[in-house]
Amino acid sequence: MSAFFQYCVIGLSNGAVYAMVAMSLVIIYRATGLLNFAQGETSLIATFVVWEAHDRGLPLPLALIIGMIAGFLLGAVLQRVAVQPAGDPATAPLQLVIVTIGLLLVLNNTAGLIWGNESKVFDPMFGPSSVNVGGVTIAAQQIGTVAVLLVEALALVAVFRFTKIGLAMRSVASNAEASGLSGIPVARILVISWGIAGGIGAIAGTFAAPNLGMDATLFLKILVLSFAAMTIGGFDSLLGAIVGGLVVGLITDVLPRYVDWLKEMPLAPAVLLILAVLLVRPQGLFGSKQVRRV
Amino acid sequence: MKFSMSSPSTRRVGWGLALLVLVLFPLLVESGTEEVTRWIPLAVAGIGLNLLTGFNGQVSIGHGAFFGLGAYACGIWVNDHDGQFLMGFIVAIVLSFLAGAIVGLPALRIRGLALALMTIAVGTLFPDIIRQFEGLTGGSSGLAIQTLTVNGRGKLQDRTTEWLAPGWSGISSNQWRFYIFATIAVICVAMVAALIRSRTGRALIAIRDNEVAAETNGIAVDRLKVITFGLSAALAGIGGAMFALIDFNLTPDPFNLTFSLNLLVIVVIGGSGTILGPVVGALSVGLFNDVIVKKVLPADLGLLGPVILGVTLVLSMQFAPAGTVGSIKHTIEERQLKRRIASPPAS
Repeated sequence: MSAFFQYCVIGLSNGAVYAMVAMSLVIIYRATGLLNFAQGETSLIATFVVWEAHDRGLPLPLALIIGMIAGFLLGAVLQRVAVQPAGDPATAPLQLVIVTIGLLLVLNNTAGLIWGNESKVFDPMFGPSSVNVGGVTIAAQQIGTVAVLLVEALALVAVFRFTKIGLAMRSVASNAEASGLSGIPVARILVISWGIAGGIGAIAGTFAAPNLGMDATLFLKILVLSFAAMTIGGFDSLLGAIVGGLVVGLITDVLPRYVDWLKEMPLAPAVLLILAVLLVRPQGLFGSKQVRRV
Repeated sequence: MKFSMSSPSTRRVGWGLALLVLVLFPLLVESGTEEVTRWIPLAVAGIGLNLLTGFNGQVSIGHGAFFGLGAYACGIWVNDHDGQFLMGFIVAIVLSFLAGAIVGLPALRIRGLALALMTIAVGTLFPDIIRQFEGLTGGSSGLAIQTLTVNGRGKLQDRTTEWLAPGWSGISSNQWRFYIFATIAVICVAMVAALIRSRTGRALIAIRDNEVAAETNGIAVDRLKVITFGLSAALAGIGGAMFALIDFNLTPDPFNLTFSLNLLVIVVIGGSGTILGPVVGALSVGLFNDVIVKKVLPADLGLLGPVILGVTLVLSMQFAPAGTVGSIKHTIEERQLKRRIASPPAS
C-alpha cells in the first residue's frame, strides 16, 4: 500500500508542474481566446535564464525572480510583435494557431542554439532532503512544488480579485470591446496577461527541470499534459487548471504502474478521461458554459 | 481572346502543363526524384486534413495518427502477404476511415478548441500505442517490411521489399515509384475537387460557414461531419501507406505531435480551403526542409532551419493569412473585379 502512496506523491508533484503551465495557458486563453502552443517554449527560455543566472553564482530564489522577469518580458514582446498583428483569434483561429506553432519552432531552436543540446544539471530549490511518512518518502522538493503551486494560485486569485489591473483583465476577458469603450487600455492589458503567463512559466520550469532534465525538450511533453489538464478543467478556469493538472499527474503516474497494457502509453487514461469529461460536460469540469445562440 | 486565369480553356492548359511537368520531372531530374517522392505522401495527407479543417471547419491537430495508422496497416499487410501493395492500400484506407469516423463521433458534441485539444491527445497517444502493441508493430525497434524472395542460390529468403519497375518501361525503380505515387496524388486531388464542387461539397462548406443555417436548410450536419472526418482520415491513411512503401521500414517516432503540426502548417501555408493549397504547401515545406536546410545552410547551423521556418510562418500569417494559393486567388479575383469596373461589358 505504501508503494501506492509513493506513486501518488510523485504524481501530485508532477501534476503541480502541469497545473502551473495549464494556469498560464488559461490566462492567455482568457485574455486572447487563443490556444498558445508557444507557451511551453516561452517557459523554456525563462527557465534557461534561471539556470544561467544560478550557474553564474546567484542563489536560486534570486535567479528565479530574474527568470520570471525575463519570462514576463518575453511573453509581452511576443504578444506585441507576433500575435497582435496576426489578427483576431475569433475570426482567424487557424492562422493564430500557426503563428504560435511558428513561435514554438523559433523559441525551441533558439534555446538549442544558445544553450546547446546536452542536458544541464538543475539544482532542486528545496534541496535534496526528504521526510519519511509511514513508509512513503516525500522529498522536500515535492512538498515545495505543491506549496509553490498553491501560493502561486492564491497570488493570481488575489491579483484578479483585488487589484485594478486584475479587474481590468477580467473585464477584457469578458468583453474586450465594452472594456475599451469604458477606458481600459485593452492592448496593454493583453500584453500584461501574456507577460504574467510567461513569468509563471519560469516557476514551472524551475520545478520541472531538476526532475526531468534541463534541455530544450523539457516542455514538449509537459505542454501536451498541460493541454490535457486545461481541457479537463475547462478552458477558462484557474481552479480547473489546478485540479486538472493534479488529476492528470495522478492518473498518468499511478495507473500505468498497475495496469500492464498501459505501461508504454501513460497518456491513454488521460485521453479517455478527457473524452469522458467532454462528452458529459463539453465545457470541462470548471469551465463556464458557452451558450450558442440559434 | 483575352487572357483570363479563370476561363475554362486557360484552366485546362494549366492542368495540362502541370501534368506534363509531373511526367517529365523524373526523366529530366533523376537525382531529385527520390526527394520529391517523399513529399507526395505529405501532400496527400495535407489534402485530407484540408478537407476537414479547410473546407469543413473542424480543426484536427492529430492527423499524424491517421497517417501513422495507414502506414502501419499497409506495412503489416504487405509484410504478411508478400508484397500485395494494392491490398495494403485498401486495408490502410478502410482502417483509417473507420478510425477517423470514431474520432469524429465525439466531434458532434465537442467543437472548436476542445476538439482541437482532443485531437492533440490522439496524435500524441499514437506512437505510444505502436510501442505498446509490440507483437504486432515491432514496437520501438521498428517494423521491417519484407518479402519472401528467391536468392542467388535458389533458396527462399526474407528480404526487404522493393519497388520493381516492369521490364518493358526501361525506367529505374525510383522513377517507377514516383509515377505510381504521383498518379495516386492526382487521383486524390481530382476526387476532392469533384467532391467540393458537388452538392455534398457545398454542404460541407455550408457547415463550416454557419452550422445552424446549414442544419435549417436540411443538411444532415451530424452525419456529414462524421463522414468528412472519416474521409479526411482515409486520405491521411493513403499518405501513410505511401510513406510506408518508401523505405519499407517503420518506427513509431516519426508519427509524433510535431508531424501533425507539420501537416497543419502545410495546409495553412499552402492555403486552407483551396484544392491545390496543400500540394503547394507540401512542396514548399519539403523544398525548405530537404533542400534549403540540408544543402544550402551550413551543416553546423542545423537548428537555424526550424528558426527560419518559424519566422516565415509568423510573418506569412501576418502578410498572407490566406496562404499561397489563397493569396494568388484573391489577387486574381481583385484584378478581374477592377477590370470589370473599368470597362463594363457592352450589353
